[in-house]
Formats: sequence, structure tokens, C-alpha cells
Amino acid sequence: MLEEVGFVDVSYGNRIDTFAGAPGEEKARAYDVHGYTFMARKPD
Amino acid sequence: MATSELPVDADSLRSEVRDKYRDVALEPGAEHHFHTGRFLARHLGYPAAWVDDVPEPVVESFAGVGDPFAMRRLEPGERIVDVGSGAGFDSFCAAWQVGDDGHVVGVDMTPEMLDKARRNAALVGADNVEFREGFAEQLPVADGWADVVISNGVINLCPDKHAAFTEIRRVLRPGGVLQFADIANGTPVPPGALREIDLWTG
Ligand SMILES: C[S@@+](CC[C@H](N)C(=O)[O-])C[C@H]1O[C@@H](n2cnc3c(N)ncnc32)[C@H](O)[C@@H]1O
Repeated sequence: MLEEVGFVDVSYGNRIDTFAGAPGEEKARAYDVHGYTFMARKPD
Repeated sequence: MATSELPVDADSLRSEVRDKYRDVALEPGAEHHFHTGRFLARHLGYPAAWVDDVPEPVVESFAGVGDPFAMRRLEPGERIVDVGSGAGFDSFCAAWQVGDDGHVVGVDMTPEMLDKARRNAALVGADNVEFREGFAEQLPVADGWADVVISNGVINLCPDKHAAFTEIRRVLRPGGVLQFADIANGTPVPPGALREIDLWTG
């Protein structure tokens, strides 16, 4: 989607176990939900 | 905003999201289905220098899902927009990085979060940060103003992600950077469950 709206150089960082130990962990695991970091650039 | 094909009603979703984050602003210590506060910031790997000594109100309503500064540190003098700034923790981390020559604009749609963010700015003496009320899909920022847009745990809450990203692109200068943290699911959520508002609000 980032490329679709005109971003370039899209990259992403490590997967983060955001919900580990939280009350919502079970639901997060059911849909394999994790945190991610992303970076993209608007073309010059 | 093209919302006709969204699996949930955009206005109901916004109102549910506001209710949820009003609670996180006013009762950060209550049980939420996600982690919050200083514990969360440490869990996500934020540097101790940003987390350990900040006054409790500044970090207690933090509800991010990753560290948007992990892939790239901000540079002195940069102009930053924080989309969905909540109680302001990331905006202050940004302010410390960009310094007095930089400027940070936090945007959020939940009044209680904005109030808290403004009180927090006074608490930490952050003169280079301001908070504006608005939507990710309609940012109250001029075209091309920002060097960098950051965001943490917000785009997943937007019913129209395409509109949010288009708006972010509009406020960035040519060559500007979007760096953000968000959640994504590896297993597809069934269409029926997509209409469960609970799955969206957190
Ligand atoms: C998960 S919290 C994250 C807050 C902050 N980024 C942090 O890391 O603590 C989500 C925030 O985004 C705001 N928000 C959600 N949807 C929004 C939208 N469409 N426009 C503006 N703000 C939004 C909520 O009010 C809430 O403060």
C-alpha cells in the first residue's frame, strides 16, 4: 500500500512480540499479530 | 474518504477508538488488553535515557507497538509530524532528538489524549512541540512541511489506511521520510471477525 500511494525505498525492521504477557496475547497469537517498524521515503 | 467498501462503519470505529484511548489517557493503570507505560517502552527497546527518568504522567499512557526511531534516529533541526500522538511520549522523544532548531507537531483525535499531551509538554518543558486536534486522514499540517513523519500503533486503527498514507505523503517534503511502528497479522482474519469492533480498537 505504501508503494501504491507513491512511497519509495520501503523497508521494514524486526518483528516485535508486542503483546507478549499482555491480556490480549491469546487473541494476538490466534491471528499471529506482531509489531513491526517500517520506513519509506517520498520521492525527491 | 472512500469508506463504502470498509468492513466496519468508519464513524462507529472512530468513536470506539476514542472511547478506548480516552480510558488509556484517564486510567492508564487499569487493565487494557495491551501493555502500556514505562514497562511497555522498555519492552519495546526504547533507550533507557529516554524512559527511565521521565515523570510518570509523560510515559504512563504510552501505548505504542514498536520503536519508530529504531530504524533511523532523527537529526537536529528536523521538522516532525507524529500521527496519533496520544499522550505525547514519542513526540517528546522526537523533540529531544531534533533539538531547539527542530519542531514537532503531534496530531490526535482524542481530546483527553491531547489535553494530557499538552500538560506533559509543560511538565518536561518541551518548547519545540505542539499538539493539534485532527485525523490521520486529514492532517492539520501544510503541504510539504515535514522532514519526517512518525507514528506508533495508529494506522492499524484507521479504517481507511490508503487515505492516511496519502495524507502523510502530502505533508512530507520531497525526499521526506516516513518511519513508523504498527501491528500486522500473519494469519488472515476471517471476514466475519473483521466486523468485530474489538479487534480494531486495540
Ligand atoms: C495505540 S495509541 C498510540 C498513541 C501514541 N502513538 C503512543 O505510542 O503512545 C493510538 C492513538 O491514535 C489516536 N488515533 C487513532 N485513530 C486516529 C485517527 N484516525 N486520527 C487521529 N488519531 C487517531 C488515538 O486517539 C490514540 O491516541
